[in-house]
Amino acid sequence: MTDLLNSPEDIAFRREIRDFVAAELNPDTRDRIRRGAPLRHEDIARWHKSMYRKGWVAPTWPVQHGGAGWSARQRLIADEELFRLHTPPLPNFGPRMIGPILIRFGSRAQQQRFLPAILSGADWWCQGFSEPGAGSDLASLTTRAVPTDGGWIVTGAKTWTTFAQHANRMFCLVRTDGQVKKQEGISMMLIDMDAPGVSRRPIRLMDGTEEVNEILLDQVFVPCGMVVGEVNRGWTYAKALLEGERLGIGGIGRCKHLLGRVRHMAQGADDALADARLAELEIDIMALEATTLRLLAAAEAGVPLGAETSLLKIRGTEIQQALTELMLDIAGPAALVPVAAGSNEDVFENVVCQFLNWRKLSIYGGSNEIQRTILAGQVLGL
Amino acid sequence: MIRFGLPGEEARLLQDTAERFVADRYGLAQRAVMLARPPQEAPAHWREMAALGWLAAPLPRGVGGLGMAPVHLQGLLETLGAGLILEPYGPAIMNCAATLSRLLPRAQAAGALAPMLAGDRVEVLAASPMGQALVQAEPEGDGWALSGTVPLVPGGAAAHAFWVAVDCGAESALAHVPASKAQVRGFRLVDGQAAASACFDGVSCGPRACFTGAADALAHGADMGLWAALAETSGLIGALCRATLDHVKLRQQFGRPIGRFQVVQHRMADMYMHTEEARSMAQLTAEALEEKDAGVRRRLLSAARVKTDAAARAVLRDAVQLHGGMGMTDELAVGHMVKRLLVLAQTGGSRAAHLKRFQASG
Ligand SMILES: Cc1cc2nc3c(=O)[nH]c(=O)nc-3n(C[C@H](O)[C@H](O)[C@H](O)COP(=O)(O)OP(=O)(O)OC[C@H]3O[C@@H](n4cnc5c(N)ncnc54)[C@H](O)[C@@H]3O)c2cc1C
Repeated sequence: MTDLLNSPEDIAFRREIRDFVAAELNPDTRDRIRRGAPLRHEDIARWHKSMYRKGWVAPTWPVQHGGAGWSARQRLIADEELFRLHTPPLPNFGPRMIGPILIRFGSRAQQQRFLPAILSGADWWCQGFSEPGAGSDLASLTTRAVPTDGGWIVTGAKTWTTFAQHANRMFCLVRTDGQVKKQEGISMMLIDMDAPGVSRRPIRLMDGTEEVNEILLDQVFVPCGMVVGEVNRGWTYAKALLEGERLGIGGIGRCKHLLGRVRHMAQGADDALADARLAELEIDIMALEATTLRLLAAAEAGVPLGAETSLLKIRGTEIQQALTELMLDIAGPAALVPVAAGSNEDVFENVVCQFLNWRKLSIYGGSNEIQRTILAGQVLGL
Repeated sequence: MIRFGLPGEEARLLQDTAERFVADRYGLAQRAVMLARPPQEAPAHWREMAALGWLAAPLPRGVGGLGMAPVHLQGLLETLGAGLILEPYGPAIMNCAATLSRLLPRAQAAGALAPMLAGDRVEVLAASPMGQALVQAEPEGDGWALSGTVPLVPGGAAAHAFWVAVDCGAESALAHVPASKAQVRGFRLVDGQAAASACFDGVSCGPRACFTGAADALAHGADMGLWAALAETSGLIGALCRATLDHVKLRQQFGRPIGRFQVVQHRMADMYMHTEEARSMAQLTAEALEEKDAGVRRRLLSAARVKTDAAARAVLRDAVQLHGGMGMTDELAVGHMVKRLLVLAQTGGSRAAHLKRFQASG
C-alpha cells in the first residue's frame, strides 16, 4: 500500500532500515513472521541482539540513555519498515514501558542499573498490573505492600502477566496505603522474579498458547531502592506508562503487515467479496495513518496530545481484528485442518490461531469500551 | 407450509434427555479426556446415542428410522450443539445416512443403515462441504478406478467406510469405499472434532459399489447436513449468550456488576436479538426441509446460512469481549464454543458460497 511518509529524508531512512534488516535478519525467523507463526523466544532474543548492536532497541529514549533518538516521524517509519520486512516485534515491557518511566521518574541508581540491561537484553521485564479482581478497574488492586526494615513485604496475586516465563524482572503496582482514595495509595515497585515468594502458573489460552501467567506474591521482600519515584505516586506513573508511545498505539505497521498477508492469501482466489473487503480495509488503514500524522503535526506545533489518542487504539485494533476475520473467510475450511508436518508453505497455517489470539487486542491495554468512555468523558466532556 | 408451531411433547422429551446427557457426559474435564484420545477411536458415546434413538430419529420409517421431522429435532440438535459433543452426529447421520436413505432402494437402504443406526458402524460422505465431487472416476471393467483426495472429511477419522462423491462424466455418482482401501489421515479440527483427509488414488470399485443417479440423494443429504449445522449453531449462540449474561451479572468492576453499565447492557441486548434470529432461521429451514419445491428450499437454507453466520460472528466477538481476559482462556466453555462456531461456519458451505447461491436463485 502507498507510503504516506515519503520525503527524500524519509526514503533515505527507509533505505537504511532495509539494508540493515537484509544483512541481519535470520531467514528462518523472517519466514515464521511472514506466515504469522507464533513467536518463539529465541527468534526475538536473537533479533534483539542485532537491534542492540545497531542502537535501535529503544526508539523513544534520548540518545544519552542509549536510545535511538528518533523523531516521532522516524518512529512511525521504522515501525512500518520493520513490520514490512517481517522482523519480530521486540517486547514492549522493557524498552517502551518501564524504560521511559525510569528515565522520567526513576532514581539515578535505578537508571544506571536497569537501563543498560534493558538495551542489551540482559533483563527481560513483565508487567504486573492486572489482578483477578482488578482489570478495567485497575485502581481497585489489592496486592499489599507492608513496610519493614529496609523495604516492603509484598503479598497478592497478579494475572494475565504476558511472557512472565521469559522475564527476570517485573514492574508491579501494589497498594501501600489502604486508608486514602484508591488511586492515591498505589506505588510502583520493581520485583526480582527469582525473589523468594514469587511463583508462576501458566494460563492456557484458547489458541493453545501459554503466553500469559498468574503470578503469586507470597511475602516477597522488596528493598526500598526498588520503589519507583515516590511512594503512593504509582498511579501517576502507571498512567504515564500506559499513555507512553501514544502515536504508535494504532499499530499502523502491524496493520499493514497483516494486510499484506491477507492480500497474499487472497491472490488467485478470484473472490470479489474478499477483494472489496480488502480494499475497504486498506482505506481504513490510510485513514488511521492520516489521523496519526495529523495528530503528530499538531503535537510538533506544540498542541499537547490528549485523550484523543484513544481513537488510534480503537481503530487500529478494530482494523487488525477485521483483517483476521477476513483471513478466516478467505482460507475457508482449509484453516480448520492441522497442517501436516513438513508442509510449511501452507499460507493458511496459523489463521485460526491468529484470529483467536487477536481477540485480545480489544481487551488489553484498556479495553475498547474503556477507550470509548475516555473519548466520551475526556474529549467530548460527556 | 411454514407454521412455526411450538415443539410437541415428543420433541420436548428428546430435548430433556439431551440436556441430561450433556450435563452428565460433557463437563469440560470429561471432554478434555475425550479430546486427548486418538481421533481414530470409535466416538465415545455413539452406541449410547443409538440406544437413545437419536441416530434413527431423523430417518424415514421405511429404512429403519423413526421418521421424526426436522422441526421436532431442532431442540435435540441445539442442545447437542451447545453441549459441544464430539460425536459425528451431523456428518454420519444428518448428512450421510440421510443421503443413503434417498439413494438406495428401500430394502437395500435398510440393510446398509441398520449397523449405522445401531451405532456399530460409522460411514460418512467424502465430498466438498456443499456435496460436490472432488474425486474422479474412470471406467475400469464393470466398475470404476478412482483418483483424487478429499482434504476434509468431517467424522472421517473413525469411519469404517466412505461414500465418495465422484465425477464420472455427466451424472452425479457415489462410490462406496471401505476405509481400509483409502489412504486416511485422521486428525482433530480446531474444535476437537475428529476428521480426516482421504486419498482415493488407485482405489478400484466393483460394480456393486458404484451408484449413479445420486444427484437428488446428495442434494437431500447436503440440505439435511447444512440444516443440522445451523441448528447446532443456533444452540451454541444461545449458550454463549447465556454464559455471557451470567458473567456480566457476576463480574464486579468499579464497585458494581459490569452488567450495570449501559454499554454492556446494549451489547447483551444485541446478543439476545442475534440468538432469537438464529433460532427463527433454524426453525424456518426445519419446516422448509419438507417443502417440495427444491428451489424454495435451497433459497431459504442459503438465507439461513448467511443470517446465522452474521449472528454467530457478532455473538462470538462480544462473548469473548465481555468476558475480558477470562474469555481468552481455554479454561471456560466460551473459548471452546468459539472454536466450534468457527468449524460450524464452514460446515455445509460458507457464508460466501450461500450468498452467491441465494443471489442466483432470486
Ligand atoms: C492476552 C492478554 C495479555 C495481557 N497481558 C497483560 C500483562 O502483561 N500485564 C497486565 O498487567 N495485564 C495484562 N492483561 C490484562 C488486561 O489489561 C485486562 O484483561 C484488561 O484490563 C481487562 O480486564 P479484565 O480482563 O479483568 O476484564 P473486565 O475488566 O472484567 O472487563 C470485562 C468486560 O467488561 C467491560 N467493562 C468493564 N468495565 C466497564 C465499564 N465501566 N463500562 C463499559 N464496559 C466495561 C470491558 O470492556 C470488558 O469488555 C492482558 C490481557 C490479555 C487478554
